[in-house]
Amino acid sequence: MWTRESGGLVLTFHLAGINNQNFLMRDDQTGSYWQQITGEAVSGPLRGRRLTLVASDELSFGLWAAEEPGGTVLKSVPKYASDYEKKDWEVRMKKARTVLSFADPARGLEPRTLLLGVQAFGASRAFPYDAVIQEKLVLDRVGEEPVLLVVGPDGESVRVFRDRIPGISGHPAFYRTLDDKQSHPHDPAWLKQAVAAPLLMDEATGSEWNFQGCAVSGKETGLCLEPIEAIKDYWFDWRNYNPKTTVYVR
Amino acid sequence: MPAFYDLSGRPIGTGVAGAERKEKKNPDHGGNSLMERSSRRTVADPWFLIPIALVSFTALAYPIYVIRPFRHQGPRELAAALEVIQIRPPIELVCAICALLGLFWYWRVQPLDSRRRLAAAGAFLVCTFAVLSRVNIFEMMFHPDTHPLFVPIEQAKVDPDDMVMAVKLGGMAHAYPIRSMGYHHIINDVVGQEPIVATY
Repeated sequence: MWTRESGGLVLTFHLAGINNQNFLMRDDQTGSYWQQITGEAVSGPLRGRRLTLVASDELSFGLWAAEEPGGTVLKSVPKYASDYEKKDWEVRMKKARTVLSFADPARGLEPRTLLLGVQAFGASRAFPYDAVIQEKLVLDRVGEEPVLLVVGPDGESVRVFRDRIPGISGHPAFYRTLDDKQSHPHDPAWLKQAVAAPLLMDEATGSEWNFQGCAVSGKETGLCLEPIEAIKDYWFDWRNYNPKTTVYVR
Repeated sequence: MPAFYDLSGRPIGTGVAGAERKEKKNPDHGGNSLMERSSRRTVADPWFLIPIALVSFTALAYPIYVIRPFRHQGPRELAAALEVIQIRPPIELVCAICALLGLFWYWRVQPLDSRRRLAAAGAFLVCTFAVLSRVNIFEMMFHPDTHPLFVPIEQAKVDPDDMVMAVKLGGMAHAYPIRSMGYHHIINDVVGQEPIVATY
């Protein structure tokens, strides 16, 4: 997700082409073409400029609705609603062919392996989505910087944070305290209390942290971890634009 | 019998009797019509339209050929295709003007209706390429949601376990269901007075 301002202009984008299955956007105002995944203008008067990334999440609707009860949702366009993707479309997409591969069977990476990609601290790292969902909490590094990936109480949504607590030296270890076997992710009432409740505890201070990355009990109450932007992408696409990426392997 | 000349006026032969046949079929031009028109130069087929049409068609078709789904795009050909898109409008305009001016000239010097029609069809084709070059078929193919509307959570027809892209700016939270985004791919939006584009 990007801001759509550049050079003092507010831009309106259209899907205008494909570059190895990552789409190109054209802006009405200058006719420049932009690469979706990088936010960079690759042709036209604004060539070389970059859009600014907007912090966003990919969450289950139930969890998001519990976090943002006053939020609003993009309405279906009636004319096209019957053609929208079906519920199992991510499963079906796994079988769709790609024009690039980068398959790496040794690390379990097929072209359509879903992953969470992080570009931060001068490095890029890919976290296979299924592995993160299974592990629930991943403590790792991007470049030299410690990060943590945590799965929400819905068992589907993932957020990434920098593993640093202000005033605490080093990078504290975190533990998951939520008992996922007792979760009721499809019960809106349960989710509503679960999104604000703690699901992690840090070893250094014993504080408890929720899915927003904020301490809700203990010494660090009120402090929040620094969120890190992650995008859900297919391996072939991520690898194409991040040739030096490293990959998290359990 | 009419003599035939190329575009520079050089004679290229005689004997194609189209003009004569035409005159025989149309005897209403007066008694001296055949003699008068037979004495006028007749030019060759409108070959001059072929290079114009080729340039116009290439400028139209090359980017479509390169930037089409399910095809590997090499960096050089992609850059070339995008460059063609950028310089295409004046090229197509010049081609269309040349074709129309050429047609105007040809219409005056060519007495044969059949060849005039051929030239008119060629010029029309070039003009059609010019018009089509203003249309991006991908923009039509993916059915953009040009006026996105938002509804409160309770009115949203989204299952709890469906994934959404979520953003919060200036205290305002918007969610974009993935199943919709997988179809429209781009939503131009304003959230908390911040113009943003959600892409998927």
